[in-house]
Amino acid sequence: MTSIVPANPQCIIYALATSSDYIYGTKGICFAATSDGLYRQEIVHAGQDTWKYAFESLGLNEALPTTSVVLSPDFRKDGKVFAGVNGGILRSHDQGVHWEAVTFPPPSPVVSCLAISPNFVNDEILFAGTMEDGVLTSQDEGRRWVSWNFGLLDLNVLCIGVSPAFARDETVFVGTETGIFRSTNGGRSWREIELPIGYEPVISLGLSPNYEQDGQLIIGTENAGLLRGYDRGKRWEQITICGQEGLDPVNAVLISSRFPEEGEIMALTGARICRSVDAGKSWEVMVEVADGEANICTIAAPRGLGPGHPILIGSLGGKITLLRS
Amino acid sequence: MTSEKKRKQQTAIQRRVIFLPRSQQAMQAGINQMINLVRPTLGPLPRYVCNAKDINRQPERLDCGGIIARRVIQIQDKDMDMGAMFSRHLLWHLYDTVGDGTTTAGVIFQKLYNEGLRLITAGWNPMILRKNLEKGLQIVLESLRKQTKPIEGKEQLSHLAQTICYDPALGKIIGEIFDTIGEYGRLELRDGQGRELVREYVEGMYWDGGYYSREMANDTYQTQANLENASILISNLDVNEPDDLIPLLVMAIDNEIKSILLVVRSISERAMGLILAKPNREKVHIVAVKTPGVDINAQAAAMEDMAILTGGRPLMEITGDQLKSVRLSDLGKSRKAWANNINFGISAGKGDPRQIRQHIAELRQVYRRLEDAQERNKMGERIGRLMSGSATLYVGANTPTEMEVRKELAEKTAQAMRGAMVEGVVPGGGATLLDCRRELLTRTADVSDPDEKAAYRILAAALEEPARVIMENAGVDPAHYLPLIQKAGAGFGFDVLANKVRKMEEAGILDPAAVVSRAVSGAVSHAGLGLTTEVLVHLRRPPMEFNT
Repeated sequence: MTSIVPANPQCIIYALATSSDYIYGTKGICFAATSDGLYRQEIVHAGQDTWKYAFESLGLNEALPTTSVVLSPDFRKDGKVFAGVNGGILRSHDQGVHWEAVTFPPPSPVVSCLAISPNFVNDEILFAGTMEDGVLTSQDEGRRWVSWNFGLLDLNVLCIGVSPAFARDETVFVGTETGIFRSTNGGRSWREIELPIGYEPVISLGLSPNYEQDGQLIIGTENAGLLRGYDRGKRWEQITICGQEGLDPVNAVLISSRFPEEGEIMALTGARICRSVDAGKSWEVMVEVADGEANICTIAAPRGLGPGHPILIGSLGGKITLLRS
Repeated sequence: MTSEKKRKQQTAIQRRVIFLPRSQQAMQAGINQMINLVRPTLGPLPRYVCNAKDINRQPERLDCGGIIARRVIQIQDKDMDMGAMFSRHLLWHLYDTVGDGTTTAGVIFQKLYNEGLRLITAGWNPMILRKNLEKGLQIVLESLRKQTKPIEGKEQLSHLAQTICYDPALGKIIGEIFDTIGEYGRLELRDGQGRELVREYVEGMYWDGGYYSREMANDTYQTQANLENASILISNLDVNEPDDLIPLLVMAIDNEIKSILLVVRSISERAMGLILAKPNREKVHIVAVKTPGVDINAQAAAMEDMAILTGGRPLMEITGDQLKSVRLSDLGKSRKAWANNINFGISAGKGDPRQIRQHIAELRQVYRRLEDAQERNKMGERIGRLMSGSATLYVGANTPTEMEVRKELAEKTAQAMRGAMVEGVVPGGGATLLDCRRELLTRTADVSDPDEKAAYRILAAALEEPARVIMENAGVDPAHYLPLIQKAGAGFGFDVLANKVRKMEEAGILDPAAVVSRAVSGAVSHAGLGLTTEVLVHLRRPPMEFNT
């Protein structure tokens, strides 16, 4: 286990992002977006376990709560990192050492989530979900952002999912307080997708790695559990996790790169991390937080889901632990 | 003689009654003349109709039946003119309601009328023929419904727009616009600079009715007032006295409200003075704008939409609301608001998304039920505003005449696109109607009544007409290709640009289902009416009377 901010037991880890070569405790770069700001860990030699405040170069007087962080798919070459904060977006071109703030016309947005195009190297597209301002889109590596909310009836965006085949299908999903919306033109306009009544807010979502072919996605809701969507969201099916029908919020959903053939899904629901290897039919509890232990805030799979692959768990108090899938 | 008697006598003189066979012959000649006028414009390789507007202006080149129908056309023979005007009405009405399919309807109608008249002359009963044609129409509409598919995506929409307007550049840009703003989105067409087509998108919603005073603008460069985290007072009240505004100002200061968009029907100079007074303005930036809408109904509709979008309550004069009694909960809220001297707008209103959805769903239901084109457009605009998107297309062309025609074409295409996005699409190029024909002929085989059989046969022949005319206009022999299409099966038609028989959907050749179904329905109902008309009555202009 590694600890980011030992001094603050209330530190919440909102998101974790790692470089593609990241091996826990051995090598690579990891970022943790927390309520105490963005933290960066660069492992040069095995066993190194130090986290540094990433916004040091900005010379801020107080910590800047950071809600999200995303890395360029070609991070090791281009060094581009983006962080969503309360009041804007910050970007770095040197692997998160130095940062610059992007200016927005007032009022400043409260960024709740960030997503990057899988084809970022060519299209330079980024999406930012905000509270009250809908979705902001950048087509120039985060220099300028514009809001495109045509058809987005709920502007409180809680999560974003970009199609793995975005370069071809230009599909983006956003989960909001009152439902889920889909864009098939790179975020220029949105259409609401009908959800069964009572399944909102949508707080997490994951698209099938073969979304272009199978049109499947999985969404996590605040108090109605997991839903599996077929045919690009036209049909939905409730997934029961470990015998419970959505008592706890599903804060994160991870889907295996071989889904749906292999059908591996991981969900962070309340104080438990659950895993299914048969596309949600049956589930096993991998981690359950005991009373008195720090609650889990987020999970990340640096190498994707698979046998023996590492899972990073971010817990309350700024702690990060490793779990083998 | 009393003046009443004199008037009655004059009226009797002013009417001319035409009976059979002259009435039908003249009607037929007029119908054929009018439809033959628009016939060359059908298909992607149309011929043009050149219309001389007046001796001083360059004649305009027209390639759309609906636009031609809107021009002043009169045939010298009054009896024939009646037939021409009768068919012109079909084209005009269709153009107004769905924006396309006018020539398709025209050629179907012409065939039905000519063939129907032939049967009537041979002794068939016109009323029974009409009844059976309407019965056959139901089979056609049912077949159309089966062939209808939804449309989405920039590519499909652009293809469709190009099929409608036959102007690749215009079609492409309209496809992109509708992919962005959706079927109800607001599209404004304006004269462009130069020859290019340029589009602009406006986020949020805006209404007509700018600010009351330029001094309210805080962006002096663009003479625009911009408000952040604005509170919005929605009303159709008149503000006559400065005192009326005091409770609002006090409430704003007490609740730390920094900016207010004040929507009122009118505001006096004295009241404006209070808003613009520097000490007040430093505390609260108030921008007063005019309540949108020309009449009370339009105002009420705009206020209702604004209230739902922003979570406010409209203060209505009719319900006895007063500015003095305004409460904090009456104010709507939005992240941004703006106003210039023409419009004002709201971005990211903080209304309840569930209520907004419900309101949109209700308006959509009303929209579907509305028949009147103008009412439909207004309702569509309201829905578009609530969906928060609008676009402006600047239409450029080589000459002012061409620009006018291109704008009309863009308008018609936009209307047809909306129909297609709401009601879906069918294979284009007349292929759908050929499939309907196939279905109709299959049913004909089971029919024993000779009247019904005859009606179905002429309807089937009429359904073939659009595909036939498209080919003729492209210089292709329909007699060669129609059997090939028949053999190829459902969904196949003749792609005149590729010069081959192919599956129309795969070639991206689509037609809005609403256009096709209204064209067929209009043609059948018009033909039924025409075929059962036996007497024509003309009205003559009364002779001028001069009082000396």
